[in-house]
Amino acid sequence: MLKTINLTKKFGNFTAVSNLNFEVKKGEVLGLLGKNGAGKTTTLRTLATMLKPSAGTAQVCGYDLLKEPEKVREHIGVLFGGENGLYDRLTVAENISYFGELYNMNQKSIRERLHLLTEIFEMQDYLHRRTAHLSKGMKQKVAFARSIIHNPQLIILDEPTSGLDISAIRDVHQFISACKKTGQTIILSSHLMFEVEKLCDRIGLIHRGCLIELGTIAEIKQKFHSDDLEAIFLKVVGENS
Amino acid sequence: MNLRHIIIVFKKEVIDLLRDRKTVFATLFIPMLLIPLLNLLLSSGVKELFNEINENVPVALAQDSNTPEIIALVKEEIISKNNHIQLLNAQNPYQALHLDKIRAILSFEKNYQTKLQAKEPFRIQIIYDKSQNKSAGSIEIIAQAITEFNQAVVAERIVSLGGKAEMAEAAQAELVNIADARQVNNSFLMLILPLMIGILMAVGGIPAATDLVAGEKERGSLEPLLATKPNRQSILFGKYLAIALFSFISVLASIAGLIFSYFINPQSSSLLGEVSTSGMNIPPLAILFVLAIAFTLGLTFAGIQVALSTFARSFKEAQTYLSYLIFAVMIPGYATLFTQPSDIPIYMFFLPILNTLSAIKIVLGGYIIYRYLAMALLSSFLYVFAALLFATILFNKEKVLFRS
Ligand SMILES: Nc1ncnc2c1ncn2[C@@H]1O[C@H](COP(=O)(O)OP(=O)(O)O)[C@@H](O)[C@H]1O
Ligand SMILES: [Mg+2]
Repeated sequence: MLKTINLTKKFGNFTAVSNLNFEVKKGEVLGLLGKNGAGKTTTLRTLATMLKPSAGTAQVCGYDLLKEPEKVREHIGVLFGGENGLYDRLTVAENISYFGELYNMNQKSIRERLHLLTEIFEMQDYLHRRTAHLSKGMKQKVAFARSIIHNPQLIILDEPTSGLDISAIRDVHQFISACKKTGQTIILSSHLMFEVEKLCDRIGLIHRGCLIELGTIAEIKQKFHSDDLEAIFLKVVGENS
Repeated sequence: MNLRHIIIVFKKEVIDLLRDRKTVFATLFIPMLLIPLLNLLLSSGVKELFNEINENVPVALAQDSNTPEIIALVKEEIISKNNHIQLLNAQNPYQALHLDKIRAILSFEKNYQTKLQAKEPFRIQIIYDKSQNKSAGSIEIIAQAITEFNQAVVAERIVSLGGKAEMAEAAQAELVNIADARQVNNSFLMLILPLMIGILMAVGGIPAATDLVAGEKERGSLEPLLATKPNRQSILFGKYLAIALFSFISVLASIAGLIFSYFINPQSSSLLGEVSTSGMNIPPLAILFVLAIAFTLGLTFAGIQVALSTFARSFKEAQTYLSYLIFAVMIPGYATLFTQPSDIPIYMFFLPILNTLSAIKIVLGGYIIYRYLAMALLSSFLYVFAALLFATILFNKEKVLFRS
């Protein structure tokens, strides 16, 4: 589903992402774990074709990032954390339908899909309210629903719970788990150990733009002879800094 | 580029902007109300001054002329026919003139009575203060009154000599104006209208442009949009068209304001009054040219606005950059304000902004050369293209789009 090949991104002289090589298989949830400034957002932005790689490339849903960026975008759903990027002056339904139209969906399939997502995300009560007046948690649900209106093959989530309160975080975690159960492929980033441990099949540790560990949670625990991922994380990162 | 995507983005942006009170207010209501308000303020001020000068002309006699005979003469012979002039009794006439209480002082020659009886000319001095607008403006009315007095006396004398009253006049001056009616009417319009159209085109789209790119960047909604299927070009063009539309709405609102101000105050010789008397003289083809050229200027500015808004780091920064656009019109506009249509050098019809200003000016001035209009239109199209290219390059630069 996703395969990066020496993916590198530089901003001027500064290398934000360096020589990434990893794969995400169909139905797998991969977590990119790293401190602030490690290069997670830059990696995901590059995979979403928002940034052009300085070197290397990636195959996303069978399309090359450089050669067919539009095809890549068509098959992925992207949610960037922090700010949810909704249109305040449009209603929830309008926000979501707009993206459906941009993905060339016809009105009928937009309606059907919106109906389904409304139930999954329990948005019935505020479907026709403008998003300006919603709570942060509600907004994040809407943004989540909007990013998967076209039923993408790969979902890219950049720190999907940052800035949310505990109950909203739990909601988001539930949706991700639900997606995972239906065989959805997901790549997500986080700086929270417990989050990736809870949600992901495999994790990649990113530090200063480099992928320094990659494997299932069990594999990593075994390699470092420790049960405490947090401690492993700090140790690996500490060794390299 | 994908037309379908452009239309989807365009439609959404228009709805979004229409729901933004700030944008609607700045695009629609301010232009609509600005001109009527200005017109009302200006015209009432001008009218008041005009009335003061023409309909209320107080004068006083110099101290040594302040005798009952002269008062009687002035009251009965000089100002009796002109009810706008009033004779005031001033203790200190110079001070009164200074304080703007009177417009002029009349001073009669000492032995005027002897001279009048001997049928010799005597002198009346009209003492006024040229540095005071009202005083200077009223002088003609006073001089006219004295001229009329003169004529009446001369006619009387001729009659007493057995002649006819008409003999007092040797020739009657009659003014025949051969200047093209449109040139006279348009002189004011010619100065102000090109500049006004240019400025409207430059600023109309600013609120929309600020919101649609810099505003979206700041609210974080641009990034998810760019991550959807459409390519950047389509997204940019959808936004661009929405900005252009709002820019033209704003211009139309200004014109509506102009029409409105004409209806509430038609005799104030508002801009529109002059347009309506002169508009008929402009050939339709020339009007079409001017409209097309002004339209392309609007499209050019919309492109520049989108580009600047893309370049800006924040909403505030975009507002600052975009507010400078007015100078892009005002500087060349003022620099060429008094250039006569026939004196405009040909290269002006190729320069950005100046080509539009010059084209409007020659059409209003009745100096229509279609070759020049065609050049202005052609170069205008090139500038639209250049502005869009500039916007596209910026919108595709990740350094610009993702800088923070
Ligand atoms: N547009 C940009 N221009 C220059 N440097 C950037 C840009 N975006 C990110 N960076 C730098 O790249 C590094 C990685 O950033 P980022 O990918 O946002 O990290 P993370 O998401 O892991 O916190 C940081 O040092 C950041 O300052
Ligand atoms: Mg980040």
